[in-house]
Amino acid sequence: MDTVSSLIFSAVTIMTPLLLAATGGLYTELTGMLNIGIEGLMLLGAFSSVVSLHFTHNIVLAILIGTGSSMLLAAVIASITLYLKANVFITGLAANLFASGITTVLSFHIFANKGVVTFPELPQMPVLFERGTEAVPVLGPLLFGHTFFTYLSFILLFLSYVVLYRTPFGFRLRATGLYPKSLISVGLSPKRYQFIAFLISGFFSAVAGAMLSVNLGAFVPNITAGKGWVALVVIFLGQKRPVGLLIASFIFGISEAFSNYAQGIWHIPSDFILAIPYIFTLVAIVFYSIYDYNRQKVE
Amino acid sequence: MNKKIECYNPVIYMLRSMVGLIFIVFVSLVALVGFSYYLSETPDKTIYYFFNGPFLSLYDFGNMINMAVPLIIGGLGISLAFRSGSMNIGGEGQLYFGALIATLTVIALEPLGRAGAVIAIFVAMMSSGILAGISGVLRYRWNTNVLITSFLISNAVVLIVNYLITGPFDDPLTNLFSTQPIPETAELSYILPPSNLNTSLIVAVAAVFIIHALMYRSRTGFELRMYGDNPRFAKYAGVNVMYYQIMPMFVSGAMYALAGSLSIFGTYHATIKDFSSGMGWNALAVALIARYRPFAVIPAALFFAYIESGARSAMLYSDVTFELSSIVQATVFFLVSSVTLQRLGLKKRRI
Repeated sequence: MDTVSSLIFSAVTIMTPLLLAATGGLYTELTGMLNIGIEGLMLLGAFSSVVSLHFTHNIVLAILIGTGSSMLLAAVIASITLYLKANVFITGLAANLFASGITTVLSFHIFANKGVVTFPELPQMPVLFERGTEAVPVLGPLLFGHTFFTYLSFILLFLSYVVLYRTPFGFRLRATGLYPKSLISVGLSPKRYQFIAFLISGFFSAVAGAMLSVNLGAFVPNITAGKGWVALVVIFLGQKRPVGLLIASFIFGISEAFSNYAQGIWHIPSDFILAIPYIFTLVAIVFYSIYDYNRQKVE
Repeated sequence: MNKKIECYNPVIYMLRSMVGLIFIVFVSLVALVGFSYYLSETPDKTIYYFFNGPFLSLYDFGNMINMAVPLIIGGLGISLAFRSGSMNIGGEGQLYFGALIATLTVIALEPLGRAGAVIAIFVAMMSSGILAGISGVLRYRWNTNVLITSFLISNAVVLIVNYLITGPFDDPLTNLFSTQPIPETAELSYILPPSNLNTSLIVAVAAVFIIHALMYRSRTGFELRMYGDNPRFAKYAGVNVMYYQIMPMFVSGAMYALAGSLSIFGTYHATIKDFSSGMGWNALAVALIARYRPFAVIPAALFFAYIESGARSAMLYSDVTFELSSIVQATVFFLVSSVTLQRLGLKKRRI
């Protein structure tokens, strides 16, 4: 593959977990809750799915266990936030702290290892439409030859669009964020929709995390490495719309793919490479807020 | 007549408002005991060392107090910032960066001796203050979310500091990734040998009084709290919006730098890679538990230090890992902001 194709190809691989997590976060964001806990939900999902894959050798069961555990944590965040009236930002941070603690503690308990746990016996994730990658320029690496997680992320994004914009449930969910009292006035509970949104976010984040660890065939401490935060930024940059999420996450994917490529060429220290997503996100957020500020001034 | 005149007794009110907090601490310790029984082969030993470890020797006890010092100082800055509505969550980077700047400055100013150390701390406070202040300026100018910008800047800075410590400023004489040691004249003296407790404790206690006076006994503090409670009201009342969006960020960043540089001068004597990992978050949690009241920051910081050092001795004498402490801390974090729990002991307000 030439440079451009391989850049696009790795951009899609990088953007998949971001897109998944951001799609899940879109639900909570639309109900007016800032879900800081995406990072922790992803981390817990990554850990529990790869560990259960190691013990069961069944990918469907592994993802079920992974999503189940993340949804449980999401339910904890949501119930404390909504029913004990806690600050959603702080409960989210707590979830992140809890996830990083519990994964390390359990990894030490099960494998007697706090560092990288590799599972060499796990099979490689099958790649779909492999022959298309090189056959079609630009669109080939964009669409073909990825693992099923990538296709799942596209399907789930489309489904989310349908659910959010074409069903009564989605309408009510979005109304919760815009004006919660409107739900009360028709006899519905906004808290219930916020709770469901958190569960959905837990599910999506867990799938995103599962992709990271299962593709790697290993669990690395803090494997999510800020991806949950980037997913939040993707939501803001994507202007809280499904198509926007797709574009924003691709921008992140291509920028990270490029910085990985640059590292190989110019021998930039790895710490700088790790810092690039944060700096890039910062610049994107600042530009977005300038744009938003000027737009509001015009209105 | 249905109305009863309630006597307001500050002591009883305080005790009642503590009920929720005690409940939260209780739940987190129950979580600890539960996890110990699940994870440990020798749960009795784990629990014994977790609870009693910090009190077994003067060394452990002094180290526990010493661990609380940066949490107190950082927590004070966060109390001030959060009280005014500036959500500075970039403490990790601000502390680490401040520590590195202080170390490098004091090494460069070695001939000045003690004065060099004071200048170094000042320089560190200014630079971390500016680092945090950037988020405040962005918020003032374009209404950018402080929470996100401070976090992103901090994460990038942590990585860049890591690069500087392992790369250009690495001391080849040590096996650790760390800078050169600071000159001996700049080291703080120990109060409770053999432990690491040092004179930075005095700075921390003094800082409590200063921040309290600033927040509750000055015009600035009054305006700051007003801005935190209701920015729009404060704006119409003629409060300088720019000042209260940028100053709290600057102060909290500077306090984090103070915490970082004092732990270098008192405890570590060089900026070691990842020495401050988690300190920024813990200081933030301390401020939240204290509900932004400077005097409550001390017991909250001691509680956090107690959990950390308990986990450390449980790790040394039993078979659990240190990260057990973060589960306990997370439990506290989960529950601490809950309004329902905070009002647990208080009578329901009649509206």
